[in-house]
Amino acid sequence: MEKVCVLGAGSTKYGKLDDSISDITLQASVGAIESAGIESKDIKAGYISNVFGVADKQVHLGPVVMSNLGISDRPSLSIESACGSGSVSFREAYANVAAGFYDVALVTGVEKVTHTGTEWTTTYFSYCSDFFYEGQAGASFPGLFASMARAYINEFNATEEDFAQVAVKNHDNGLLNPKAHLRKKITVDDVMSSAVVASPLKLYDCCPFSDGASAVILCNEKFAKEHGGDYIEVLGSGRGGSPAALQGREHLTTIPSTKIAAEAAFKMAGITPKDVDFAEVHDCFTIAEVVDSEDIGFFEKGKGVEAVREGKTKLNGEISINPSGGLKSKGHPIGATGVGQVAEVFDQLTGKAGERTVKNAKIGLTQNFGATGASCAVHIFQSV
Amino acid sequence: MSEKQDFIEHAKGGKILAHKCVNCEDLSLATVYFCKKCGKRGFEDFVLEGHGKAETYTIMTVPPSGFEKYAPYAWVVLSIDNSDLRISGFLANISKPEDLPIGTALKVVGFDDRGIVLEKL
Repeated sequence: MEKVCVLGAGSTKYGKLDDSISDITLQASVGAIESAGIESKDIKAGYISNVFGVADKQVHLGPVVMSNLGISDRPSLSIESACGSGSVSFREAYANVAAGFYDVALVTGVEKVTHTGTEWTTTYFSYCSDFFYEGQAGASFPGLFASMARAYINEFNATEEDFAQVAVKNHDNGLLNPKAHLRKKITVDDVMSSAVVASPLKLYDCCPFSDGASAVILCNEKFAKEHGGDYIEVLGSGRGGSPAALQGREHLTTIPSTKIAAEAAFKMAGITPKDVDFAEVHDCFTIAEVVDSEDIGFFEKGKGVEAVREGKTKLNGEISINPSGGLKSKGHPIGATGVGQVAEVFDQLTGKAGERTVKNAKIGLTQNFGATGASCAVHIFQSV
Repeated sequence: MSEKQDFIEHAKGGKILAHKCVNCEDLSLATVYFCKKCGKRGFEDFVLEGHGKAETYTIMTVPPSGFEKYAPYAWVVLSIDNSDLRISGFLANISKPEDLPIGTALKVVGFDDRGIVLEKL
């Protein structure tokens, strides 16, 4: 297998964007190409992740992107895996470069939904659940994660205020990220007094619906070395699955796909969670970040809230979690999020993260899942 | 009748249609086609009473479309009595956590456009 590197990254701002889905996909893609210092003709294949292109009248985005980059003859793959689409797409590109099929690949993720309104997004996003048992019976995504939160509070020494601290931390980080959707300092009281969406989760426990696109350029080590410029290495890549419905899981407070993916990625990288300097994890709701931090192996089961309480996951804490602001503050354009996490790791490990830089960081991890974690990918990166 | 339709008909009668693996006796909901434990295909029907305890739930105040008229309501994960299975469903008229302590006994009473419909036992 070839060693695989990330050579460049680009992102639009996340938030409510006016440009079309194909426009923002291209803006991020061109950003990544410029960041890598390559020409579009160096790209041998494109991997484009998106969930609700139908909302902006463009599905099958791959060929549209490749055509507008002047490389319409190159193969592309349009990928949907709910909120985990970006990391799954990254994995497919990684596997193909590692296998030697392509020396350079483009991975771009995108979502454009804010123009549809809350009811449309709440309803259509619920189609990503195991609909027969969940969406059909009136559960929205906030509702599904709220059920995990209630189970967690019932099983462990945790309170709603603990979860609120996750939102406060991620908003603090997002304030330092010029491309974040919600750049606003908030307090635990703000979270606790925000409107209840699905008890026990309140509005400020929830990430926003966002538009946005992110892109990265992957290449083999030979290309990266010959090309020059900054790059980082992919040390480990893992994927896993979970029962699609919450009811089928052994524990309601553990996401099996994260554990499986993280174990595979750590094994491949030959390191342990203690070696990781920072992580971009899937905090679609505050409870999710706590569960993720345990399932990845940063903290024991049930101890994730203590870590939050003690500030261990703050920027430049014991392990910086979501220095970008995470889904909570940076925003969650669902098809883009997994790619945006990799873009953040690239920026962090190549000295481009500005005020939110994790000091002396050498190793970063990304974890991104679809739905309530029915599918997941974990990647580990190292500076060169 | 499809597996799922058969499952729905049982839910309408307050029952849960499970499948017992003929190889390892592991119990699955009837919507599963292969045994999650041993991987074999080959089940016999096993009908459970649709009674159980609320293991976790949410109270939905911002509902998906079609559910506006019911809000607030609960979506509940129920552990089914006399089995290690769970099922999820819709429970009307729940507006605050005090209305539904964890462990509350519930029963399946039907299946309609709200999926599996639950009531307090």
